Amino acid sequence: MDKYEIIVIGGGHAGVEAAAAASRMGVNTLLVTHKKNTIGEMSCNPAIGGIGKSHLAKEVDAMGGLMARAADLAGIHYRVLNSTKGQAVRATRVQTDRDLYRKAIQLFLEQQDNLTILEASVEDLCLKAGKVTGIFTSEGQTIQCNKTILTTGTFLGGVMHVGADKKPGGRVGDPPSIKLAKKLRELPLKVGRLKTGTPPRLDKNSIDWSKLSPQPGDKPTPLLSYAALPEDRPSQVDCYMTRTNPETHKIIKEHLNESPMYSGAIEGVGPRYCPSIEDKVVRFSDRESHQIFAEPEGLDSDLIYPNGISTSLPLKAQERLVRSISGFEGAKIVRPGYAIEYDYFNPTGLNHTLETCCVQGLYFAGQINGTTGYEEAAAQGILAGINAALSVSGKEPLSLGRHEAYTGVLVDDLVSLGTKEPYRMFTSRAEYRLILREDNADMRLTKRCREMGLVADDLWGLFLTKQATAAKELERLRTEKILPNTKEALSLEKETGEKVRSTKTLKEILKRPKVLYKHLPGKPKKILRNVVDEIEATVKYAGYIERQKTDIRKLQKNENTTIPDSLNYKNVTGLSNEVKQKLSEAKPQSVARASRIPGVTPAAISLLMVHIKKEKKRLVG
Amino acid sequence: MCGPLGAPWQFRRCDIRNKNKRIIDSGLVVFFEAPHSYTGEDVVELHCHGNPNLVDLVMVEGLSLGLKLAEPGEFTKRAFLNNKIDLAQAESVADLIAAQTEEAILAANNSLSGRFSEGINKSIASLVSCRVSVEASLDFPEEVPEGGVAEGLLLEVEAQISYLGSVLEAAKQGLKIREGFGVAVVGAPNAGKSTLVNRLAQDDLVITSDVPGTTRDSIRANINLSGVVVEFIDTAGMRKNPVSQIEREGIKRTQKAIEGATLVLHVVDANKRGGVDSINKNSIKVLNKCDLLDSIPLCEDGEVCVSAATGFGFDNLIELVLIRLGLSSSTETSLLSRRRHVDSLESALFFLNESASSLKKEEGMELVAENLLAAQKELGEITNPVSSDDLLGEIFSEFCLGK
Repeated sequence: MDKYEIIVIGGGHAGVEAAAAASRMGVNTLLVTHKKNTIGEMSCNPAIGGIGKSHLAKEVDAMGGLMARAADLAGIHYRVLNSTKGQAVRATRVQTDRDLYRKAIQLFLEQQDNLTILEASVEDLCLKAGKVTGIFTSEGQTIQCNKTILTTGTFLGGVMHVGADKKPGGRVGDPPSIKLAKKLRELPLKVGRLKTGTPPRLDKNSIDWSKLSPQPGDKPTPLLSYAALPEDRPSQVDCYMTRTNPETHKIIKEHLNESPMYSGAIEGVGPRYCPSIEDKVVRFSDRESHQIFAEPEGLDSDLIYPNGISTSLPLKAQERLVRSISGFEGAKIVRPGYAIEYDYFNPTGLNHTLETCCVQGLYFAGQINGTTGYEEAAAQGILAGINAALSVSGKEPLSLGRHEAYTGVLVDDLVSLGTKEPYRMFTSRAEYRLILREDNADMRLTKRCREMGLVADDLWGLFLTKQATAAKELERLRTEKILPNTKEALSLEKETGEKVRSTKTLKEILKRPKVLYKHLPGKPKKILRNVVDEIEATVKYAGYIERQKTDIRKLQKNENTTIPDSLNYKNVTGLSNEVKQKLSEAKPQSVARASRIPGVTPAAISLLMVHIKKEKKRLVG
Repeated sequence: MCGPLGAPWQFRRCDIRNKNKRIIDSGLVVFFEAPHSYTGEDVVELHCHGNPNLVDLVMVEGLSLGLKLAEPGEFTKRAFLNNKIDLAQAESVADLIAAQTEEAILAANNSLSGRFSEGINKSIASLVSCRVSVEASLDFPEEVPEGGVAEGLLLEVEAQISYLGSVLEAAKQGLKIREGFGVAVVGAPNAGKSTLVNRLAQDDLVITSDVPGTTRDSIRANINLSGVVVEFIDTAGMRKNPVSQIEREGIKRTQKAIEGATLVLHVVDANKRGGVDSINKNSIKVLNKCDLLDSIPLCEDGEVCVSAATGFGFDNLIELVLIRLGLSSSTETSLLSRRRHVDSLESALFFLNESASSLKKEEGMELVAENLLAAQKELGEITNPVSSDDLLGEIFSEFCLGK
């Protein structure tokens, strides 16, 4: 009988990161998937990154993950969003070639030591005394293991809707995991239904491109991965934009009763921020137009992904609505848009390591936890993989704080609060946004992950260089001065309008809002963009970062005030029934976590702390 | 004990009986059905006659039936926990019970009626709506251009700064009413400071005599001035060459009292004017012993002529003290507040001023966002916090976002 330390079920973005991380850490790992050739498939739009999401992708990269590297090998259109704003909210977005991306991921996995890939359908988990001990496949095979990481995405009980048609499926052309879903429902975990949607795919040759406005990529072209090189990228293409119009909206309203969303056929909750075009038209009826980005699915692909018109209307209605749009008059729908409903497990049943509370050795990552997005999945995947591997070797788990990483914010939100809609990352979810930046994910995470064996030599070398360069430059800015009426001062004034009235250090000058690093004298000839970002952010945010650090220290104190598992909220005098119920459900592990639960007031936290103190006293003496 | 309850919210006459069915008292009973009661729970009130022994008997009878005595503030605590009132309101109930003066009762009522909370909540709502557009421009730059956001934002932030500034003023005043004011009464030996304090208190609080230096220590007395409790600190007289160790210590204490006081009454013997050091603090010069003068001198600004012995000029003195404390009868009744409210308001204002300056200097919108969040959190400490998910909800309901 086969035996592995860790089995990862699912070859999506969470699964591949989990499998790669665990095997990089030297742990014997098996990845089980329905189809080998769909490993790393981008089921929805062919893009990685965007605000909040690129932050996650860069963190995965800084931890030695695959996503950003594959995105650079497949990136055909790059943009930096918020490029005119500060470093904390700048975000890279990459349009990728779907095939190149999948191939890059598959190649990484093939080359990975300690990793085996098996094509099979998993039908059940073997559990013994509350511990996972292996899996059963549809072939009747039993494979033993210590840990199992479930990353089944939308495949658990997946149902696809196009108009009134519905059929079981996890993605177009792929069957769902029905038996496993049934088995998992037997575990003491809270199951819910979510839905998400995708737009129809159009034939590139049937679009009148002259009617769309081109959206070229940024120059100079950025990269997503810290370790990528410009020559890694394939050739670059433009994206295009068009808009819906009142005629489109009229058609949608006419067909609304045929939408499974509105007829009541779908019970699952959809994301607020990724609404279907039906939703947009109904909820924002005063808007005459919504934008659509025509994104190429790949360099050699004939498919166009019209981002912005996700729909589950019947095919006929989809055709009418598409053809009402400028440039799409003769458009051919190659594959209709659809909505998909699937099971998820409320993540409040997980620990911060992503291990389930009810079954030892069983980890959940990705959409199964109610998230949406490749990057959210990847971040959970790598964290689950790392923790499963650490646990195999009997080491302390890795838990990332809200001040350390967006991954920490993501996991803490999920585990402490759960989610009722597909959870997506936004920078506004992070309390310490100025500290959690694209430019410093490596500064925050790489060293720790190197120690765990996750970070390859190339990334590690680049990190050490970056760290040294940034430190050296910051020291220079702190000591080097600029004098009034010198050539440097006049050139600075010419470029920025900022006057140097008295002798100032370069650091003081850089603090001024209009001055950028590039305006300062005496720069080294070659300096990497992300080193410059790191320097600018460190100097410009200095006061704010200091303040956030004070907050973090305060929070840490509450984070360290643990709430015993045995605490019965019914016994806490003074809490309202509503708060009692919320706390009993969420079971926060610390006072800080309790305070983040919506509806738990500062007064309730005080009562809780008094109770904990009293209990401790009672137990001690 | 009192027979069956009648219809809710209606008084019913009843005989209150003990276990042996003997009538203890004849009173009234009223039943407040949940949730329409003060605490939000079922409440039964017994009204009996005012004899303390009788009340005691009724209580003992109730306790023997398993009732529990309410802890101090328990009803209010329950009302708060059942969401009948918010934190600021709950605190003002405690103040109402503890309030000793008219002014304090009025202020407590202002807070209790939710005026204070209402104002803060309005301000939170405004900050949330500012944050909705700022955060939307940060998280969704393609759909929500920043240009449209910055416009109008500064105006709104400045409006909130001025509004919260006025709330802070009222709150500070409320804090003073709650915590009281300190007025130090200082001056040369034998200027009549203690006599003045006794006159203000309309009582013989402090020993007085003709001997200079009778008061050795600082003596504190709470005196009700037209409804406001003011703490007066009678001090040892100050002179340049103290004769004894005790006098030197007394003078040291006087200086300490001046430092800690909100206002200083500098008492001067009107018959020995000239040569007095002025006091570098919010002070009133009180020319005492005016009854011994042939004619009443003309008072300059910040001066008042009185006679502690006869009471002459005290109406003027009291009015001037109240004006200087910011409590003249013409000022609007203030909001009774706690130190934590004032602290939170001050921090919130600090952060709002920072956001305004970031906006003016065209620093990044993320810094504006940072300060708005910090300000909103501070206000949330007073009434109700707003979570990041609440904010996202607002963003999605306002803007059509996502692809």
